[in-house]
Amino acid sequence: MDEAPGLSDQYRTASPWPVFVALGIPISELGLLFGLFPLAVGGLLLFCGSIAGMLKESGYVESTIRSLVVLSAILFAFGGALAFTEINLVTRGYATIAAAALLLVGGVAFELFVWDNKQAI
Amino acid sequence: MATKTFDKDTILDLTVNMVPLAIILFFVVAFAVVNPFGFESLASGLQYTLLIAPFVLLAVLTYLSGKAIAGSEKSDTVYPPGQATVPGVGPLHEEEEKAEAALEESADADAEETAE
Amino acid sequence: MEVNGQLALTVLMGVFLITVAAWLARIEDWRSYTPLAGGGAVGGTKEQYVSEEKPSGLIRWLTTVDHKDIGMLYGVYSLIAFAVGGLMVVAMRIELADPSMTLLSNTFYNSLLTSHGITMLFLFGTPIIAAFSNYFIPLLIGADDMAFPRINAIAFWLLPPGALLIWAGFFPIPDIIPAQTAWTMYTPLSAGVGSGNQMNAGVDLMLLGLHLTGVSATMGAINFIATIFTERNEKVTWANLDIFSWTILTQSGLILFAFPLLGSAILMLLLDRNFGTAFFSVDGGAILWQHLFWFFGHPEVYILVLPPMGIVSLVLPRFAGRRLFGFKFVVYSTLAIGVLSFGVWAHHMFATGIDPRLRASFMAVSLAIAIPSAVKTFNWITTMWNGNIRLTTPMLFCIGFVSNFIIGGVTGVFLASIPIDLILHDTYYVVGHFHYIVMGAIAFAGFAGLYYWFPIYTGRMYQTTLGKWHFWLSMIGTNLTFFVMVLLGYGGMPRRYATYLPQFATMHQLATVGALILLVGQMIFVWNFVQSWLEGPKVEDGDPWDLGEDNLTTAEWTWFERKLQTAVTDGGEEEEAELATDGGETVTDADDE
Repeated sequence: MDEAPGLSDQYRTASPWPVFVALGIPISELGLLFGLFPLAVGGLLLFCGSIAGMLKESGYVESTIRSLVVLSAILFAFGGALAFTEINLVTRGYATIAAAALLLVGGVAFELFVWDNKQAI
Repeated sequence: MATKTFDKDTILDLTVNMVPLAIILFFVVAFAVVNPFGFESLASGLQYTLLIAPFVLLAVLTYLSGKAIAGSEKSDTVYPPGQATVPGVGPLHEEEEKAEAALEESADADAEETAE
Repeated sequence: MEVNGQLALTVLMGVFLITVAAWLARIEDWRSYTPLAGGGAVGGTKEQYVSEEKPSGLIRWLTTVDHKDIGMLYGVYSLIAFAVGGLMVVAMRIELADPSMTLLSNTFYNSLLTSHGITMLFLFGTPIIAAFSNYFIPLLIGADDMAFPRINAIAFWLLPPGALLIWAGFFPIPDIIPAQTAWTMYTPLSAGVGSGNQMNAGVDLMLLGLHLTGVSATMGAINFIATIFTERNEKVTWANLDIFSWTILTQSGLILFAFPLLGSAILMLLLDRNFGTAFFSVDGGAILWQHLFWFFGHPEVYILVLPPMGIVSLVLPRFAGRRLFGFKFVVYSTLAIGVLSFGVWAHHMFATGIDPRLRASFMAVSLAIAIPSAVKTFNWITTMWNGNIRLTTPMLFCIGFVSNFIIGGVTGVFLASIPIDLILHDTYYVVGHFHYIVMGAIAFAGFAGLYYWFPIYTGRMYQTTLGKWHFWLSMIGTNLTFFVMVLLGYGGMPRRYATYLPQFATMHQLATVGALILLVGQMIFVWNFVQSWLEGPKVEDGDPWDLGEDNLTTAEWTWFERKLQTAVTDGGEEEEAELATDGGETVTDADDE
């Protein structure tokens, strides 16, 4: 059955990222609102990682590492603002900074190791 | 006159939005004439802003949408709404003529029936 | 204890993230994206995943970015929410059969009241509209898909977590109780001030859930605006855009201006509750919340009602055998409603003691906005006038819509008038009025759409007799329940109470009977819907409603016709069919379906 007559074959009708972007938002919100450190870190990682994956998938960016660096910079700034300014929400600030650091490390690791593997194949 | 975007038909279509505009205008005048609560710059200013802002926005949107619709009526073939890509459906004016012809036919048939 | 909890949460989160990453690595080949050109696959997974159009099974639904699949997900989601919200209110109505507190505690009644409202407006009303618009707007305007398919998927997937958070208080989680703030969340109650129990985290969870649904609606709206502006087929100009797309475009505009405001107000409230800010606790904070909330809240009413009006404007003429009377009147009045809906919000606040001059202005615009709605009503009636009416189930629901909308609308016009509002404010009259719109009109148009397009999205036909039963039980139930509420309001029965004076008992019992009739009707609907989907007769004609006879076929039915024609036979492969054609025989693809 032709689900979409007249549609090009190359048109992608599936992507794994949106559901994780959507999960990342509530998890990180819950973590940040109630000050639950692991939830905040995990949710932010999930959210930013999925965003980076989706940007790459849809061809808006060429390298995953660059979008990860930008996202991690945003998180660093936000976390810094929470932890070290008058807002003074230290736990939440550190959680955001931790997420930013992990994102950066993950991005570099991904770039170094996963990329090599693929080349080898 | 044919080059004008807002011909008689379009203006007739737009009358539907002129009614609420007229109602708002009526209240602007009414509140100016009958003013039981007195004048106080902040409250009265807000009072008129709350009437004039929707009035202006509605007028602008009506103008823009009228222009967009009448403009594409001029520049492209007009099909019946939602049926532009349906095979076998011709431009709107042909469809309307067909419908009118069918109506007349049935009216004739009715007339014959009553004559009998 | 504290540390153990943190540790457990960390482990849980870590395991979850690793699972996600592993799963992603399995189905996705991160390095081989070839968004524009084909064939660049490395390894087998990618091949399976993309070259066939969709993955199979559950994965298909979790990963889909196809507008039709997302439309189906929205539909299933909103019908589940409708069932939840409906059962909540059945419990409330049974409690109200008796004047005193019998079945439910007063606090539980308040919890149900809050959740019923939020569920029906945000988890049923908005998503059911998105179900139709996702599935049919691209088909109606001749687009391949939505402008941003992935954002579309994100918008949907925000909703299930939103629903879970909104209902979180009802789940057996220790120390969390359901919110009892009513859907308007008026401060200071919702700010947790005072000796009540609304400082509970259940309220925070509800606010977060509501925030998520707001983000979801905004993302959807941006997508629809972009799609309708940029993705139209070149033959589909502004002059021949269908009415449903017009209403969705207007609705999306309203969402774009209204929902971010709700989001901000909710964040402010969350900050007040958790981080000691004072947005709503200072002098005038309570009225500030009402202004912010209703500046969103009133456009929300039109966000919910405009697309159903579009569905009725689309479906009703098809069964009246003629085109919509005064099509452009309906378009322009839709736009007028869109603009004016932002100028009427304080008519919900006439009784708060705001400046009488402001009140007068809000009354004026509220009266003006009645005109475009009335114009539509007259257009529907004149469309039917002398038409060749076929009373199919979707048509019955459309006529029911018009009938209920007239009662709901006229009761509303009276409320727009300040002196009458001051008497009827906070009584069951208001409840009756808006339920005539929300249930009698919006839900009815939803059913009209569900039945009208049933052949397209299921490939089958529903059972017509059960459809008629569903309609008549809904129509009688709606009018019984909500007309009695209008009368109760005249009698002075205040809204939102679990108990009442014995003098109102008869009326309340009638309303409960009406609600039970509605329940029976909806059970028939669920049965009909599920059974017909699984076992109904297959539709083999691309025009099951015979729209072609009156030359009223719209684009989505042409698409359906083509889909049926290109259907591959059950046993065979596509290639075989082609071979047969090459051999000189004419093959009608659909004949042995």
